[in-house]
Amino acid sequence: MLMVEDLTVSYHRVPAIHHLSLRLGGGHCVGVFGPNGAGKSTLLKAVAGLLKAETGRILLGERDLAKAAPRLTYLPQRESVDWDFPVTVRGLVEMGRYPHVGLLCPFSERDKEAVTQSMELFDLLPLANRQIKELSGGQQQRAFLARAWAQEADLYLLDEPFAGLDRGNSGTLAKALQKLKELGKLILVSHHALAEAEALFDTAILLNGELIACGPTAEVLTPQNLECAYGTAIFSGGHRHTHA
Amino acid sequence: MSTLSHLLSLVTEPLGYTFIQRALLSCALIGFTNGFLGTFIILRRQALLADALSHSLLPGLAVAAILVGLSPGGLLLGGLVAALLVALGGQLMARNSRLKDETAIASLYIIAFALGIVLIRFAKVKVDLTHFLFGNILGVGNGDLWVSYAAAFLTITLLVLFQRPLLLTLFDATVARASGIKVGWIEAGLLTLTVLGLVASLQAVGVLLSLGLLILPAATAYLLTDSFTRMLWGGAFLGLISSVGGLFFSFYANIPSGPCIVLLLAILLGIAYLVAPRHGILPKLLRGRHFHEESLERWEGHQGHDHDVPQRKDEC
Repeated sequence: MLMVEDLTVSYHRVPAIHHLSLRLGGGHCVGVFGPNGAGKSTLLKAVAGLLKAETGRILLGERDLAKAAPRLTYLPQRESVDWDFPVTVRGLVEMGRYPHVGLLCPFSERDKEAVTQSMELFDLLPLANRQIKELSGGQQQRAFLARAWAQEADLYLLDEPFAGLDRGNSGTLAKALQKLKELGKLILVSHHALAEAEALFDTAILLNGELIACGPTAEVLTPQNLECAYGTAIFSGGHRHTHA
Repeated sequence: MSTLSHLLSLVTEPLGYTFIQRALLSCALIGFTNGFLGTFIILRRQALLADALSHSLLPGLAVAAILVGLSPGGLLLGGLVAALLVALGGQLMARNSRLKDETAIASLYIIAFALGIVLIRFAKVKVDLTHFLFGNILGVGNGDLWVSYAAAFLTITLLVLFQRPLLLTLFDATVARASGIKVGWIEAGLLTLTVLGLVASLQAVGVLLSLGLLILPAATAYLLTDSFTRMLWGGAFLGLISSVGGLFFSFYANIPSGPCIVLLLAILLGIAYLVAPRHGILPKLLRGRHFHEESLERWEGHQGHDHDVPQRKDEC
């Protein structure tokens, strides 16, 4: 479903991701691992179309990224959200339908149903009329997932969603991600803790500026690969060519 | 009965004058429009940027006065160009130097303001600086009224038409961009409408107080509601009644209309700040120091179901 070919993304000519290629299918919950500065967030943002690729391309399904916008959804880090924004849980989930309903059309029965159904899926119906600040951390994450579901996205990009969540909230978020996976969605999650990685993600991507390994979690997070990711300087391999 | 008719005549008597009618219509239009627009500016956290823009109108007004005299169209265009130059110049300066954007914009707008005061001396027609700074609503001409109509129509139409992409952008520009919205265009459009709103309110309240009509009604509404739609229309309604009420008050008290309108808005903001049901400071204090309800509510929500919630014990 998601194909990344030879992707390089740079900030001020310094590459954060270097010639990375991967191919991932639906129905997987994928953890993106690596040390600070390894390019985890950069990879997610590039796939979301927020950063310009210097080399390579990203395809979603058979289509180029620019035309696939409503099919993917990017969940921001929690601290970048204005929780005082005057919107209720229902209002937030309704935002997910905006790409489908156009500028002025009222919500059709199908849109309303999609909103109710996604709130039901993430156990949000009793909270529908709450302002988003009045939710716990885990509920807030679920509300954003419900919005993505209402948008009928196939690809979910989550930037450090577990950061700052306590045990209980992490548990409910993990369950929600599991549900999405079972429904055939592809979920990409940047994550910095290696503990419980196998329980959370069936697939892992290990980055260190370049791709170190990608595959089933247990096979990727081996001591050898981790040594390679965390123990060596980024781009220590050296590499002789110039970029445009 | 006689008191009632006396009170009524207080309202109807000024309406006999054409200049009051024009002023009232202009005030109502601008109050409503800017109150509406204010919600977007506040949620985008651009209140201070709007303040900077209001000051940077001045050199544009001065240049227009020098070139074409005091025609409303010329003043509108001059103000628009000057404010947009400051906004764009600030962005450019921030991007190409070490200065952060708020420093760049603050520097540019205060320079523009000083330049405006100097330039106004060179206008061929006699221009009273205080009219530009504080407005002169009773001097509203037919041309000014047309500017108000146009600004109101354009602003409300565009904001209603693009409400959905605007809402997504205001809430989270990054996510909006990822879902395919042209965030740059939305932001540029909002900036242009802000300048238009500022210019349109010049006659009523002047350069220095134009921010009041833009920010205060929406800020009051923001304290009163958690619904975007109610904030939007509530801000517009508060802007409308305060502008009209302020104008009447200024007529009888013989005080300039700008400060009257802004102070009336200030009273409303003060009331909301104190007693707004959810976000006012008094209800918060009266709710007591322990937030049993809140924590219980949170806990119930946490479970996601109404049942299996333990009964709340009475306080002992």
